[in-house]
Amino acid sequence: MTESIIKIENVHKHFGQVHALRDVSMEVRSGEVVVILGPSGSGKSTLLRCINHLEIHDSGEVEVDGIQLKSARDINAVRREVGMVFQSFNLFGHLTVMNNLTLAQWVVRKRPKDESIEIAKQLLEKVGISEKADRYPSELSGGQQQRVAIARALAMNPKIMLFDEPTSALDPEMIKEVLDVMLALAHEGMTMVVVSHEMGFARAAADRCIFMDEGQIVEEAPPETLFSHPEKERTRVFLSKVLQA
Amino acid sequence: MTPTGRPFGPGRKEKQSAPADGDFFPIGEGVGDPHDVPVGYKLDPWWWLLVAVAGLIIFLIIWRPDPYWDILVFVKDGLLVTIILTVCSFVLILVVGLLGGLGRIAKNRLVYMAASLYVEIVRGIPLLVQLIWWYFAAPVVIQAIGGALNIAPLAEYRANAIFLAIIGLVICYGAYMAEIFRAGIQSIHKGQMEAARSLGMNYFQAMRYVILPQAFKVVLPPVGNEFIMLLKDTSLVSVVAVADLTRRGREFMAVHFNPIEVWTLVALLYLVLTLLAARLIARLERDRGVRGAS
Repeated sequence: MTESIIKIENVHKHFGQVHALRDVSMEVRSGEVVVILGPSGSGKSTLLRCINHLEIHDSGEVEVDGIQLKSARDINAVRREVGMVFQSFNLFGHLTVMNNLTLAQWVVRKRPKDESIEIAKQLLEKVGISEKADRYPSELSGGQQQRVAIARALAMNPKIMLFDEPTSALDPEMIKEVLDVMLALAHEGMTMVVVSHEMGFARAAADRCIFMDEGQIVEEAPPETLFSHPEKERTRVFLSKVLQA
Repeated sequence: MTPTGRPFGPGRKEKQSAPADGDFFPIGEGVGDPHDVPVGYKLDPWWWLLVAVAGLIIFLIIWRPDPYWDILVFVKDGLLVTIILTVCSFVLILVVGLLGGLGRIAKNRLVYMAASLYVEIVRGIPLLVQLIWWYFAAPVVIQAIGGALNIAPLAEYRANAIFLAIIGLVICYGAYMAEIFRAGIQSIHKGQMEAARSLGMNYFQAMRYVILPQAFKVVLPPVGNEFIMLLKDTSLVSVVAVADLTRRGREFMAVHFNPIEVWTLVALLYLVLTLLAARLIARLERDRGVRGAS
């Protein structure tokens, strides 16, 4: 077994009165694809956001690529290694697609201009939207925007990619184009943590599925096992609702 | 409007693949969605109002060189003082406003409280009173401190009218500007900051390259408004020994006793300046694709 690249131990997180994460522990090995599912408010997005410190956990340990999240310097060091894709894309509206991809390469990685453009071009080709390089995000469809967002994250050469419900803001016909990109990424061996209810994606790509409810990990198993033989009643109830839909 | 021209704003073609230094923060270069950017630089109808007012001034000068030409010659250095005062103050106001605005959204309680206290206090005191305080009270305070601490340059401080007027204007307008910048920054969806941070940018990089260029477009109309208000409010400095346009007008009137002519011309001169400023702001807004820009 390869080394764990993400270690989360006994993490708690409160939002005011809400206990969003209750003593959550999990590990992700290098190259593994983990899909987290659960009802809304179950803490799955919060858990994901704790990995790159968009949320600061109250107690417990979060270690990414051997770096404990403590000081601001550590946080930025971790964030450079962790790409994140959001539900609402969050492309930079004032920049072209090309500049969305080159900005952080230039600002954070200090890459020369030519190199960052070259990398951006390759990635845009990979996600299948080379021809939109000079367009602005508002001129793209949701699916195209999300593929740009994935390319933007990849341009930083992350070791880990986090996906926070990447397809839930998309029209049905655009979901596939985004999932295809994610699937290709999984096959390349990228370490991925995905919050999503896309069962098809989980079946095709996930090594492991984690079911969360009320801030806790209820159970985890390979997708086929979890979907067809869930151990816990809560998991069964949730899956029956999702699979029906 | 012609159907040809630049569908995606000016100079977009050269921009496409040059992320060189400065490319990401050229004060809102290509900010926002480019669909509504009108084509070409046709002068809008409001330019005619400006031309009409300027024409009226020229007409008065030619029609009645005595007193209008004499007044203009007399107040022209005051006109220059008004312009310089406005421009210098405004540049500093933008700096103070940006710092104040960032302070107002700071997570650090101390920074937040300091910025909020500044805004609340300054907003609650009339500008005229503030200007008078800076000119008449501040020098005495400085002298007293200098005397108490035995620092000769402070103890012998002499009020510099223009300097203190700029201080007064900057501190007062900086508070309003801070609120404008705060609102502008907060209007940018928080996902933009999260995306920038998760790409490894620190707070200031994210502000500089992602948030502020987008906020710029939002704050441009109110910032332009502040500029015009400042231009007019500089007339208040005439009471604190600054020889601006208003004060020079009063000086002329004190000798020649012709209030109608003096104050009509002074009013028209202010109007020309503000109309010109309004046109330049409108043009800037249109360049940046601000909605509703005329």
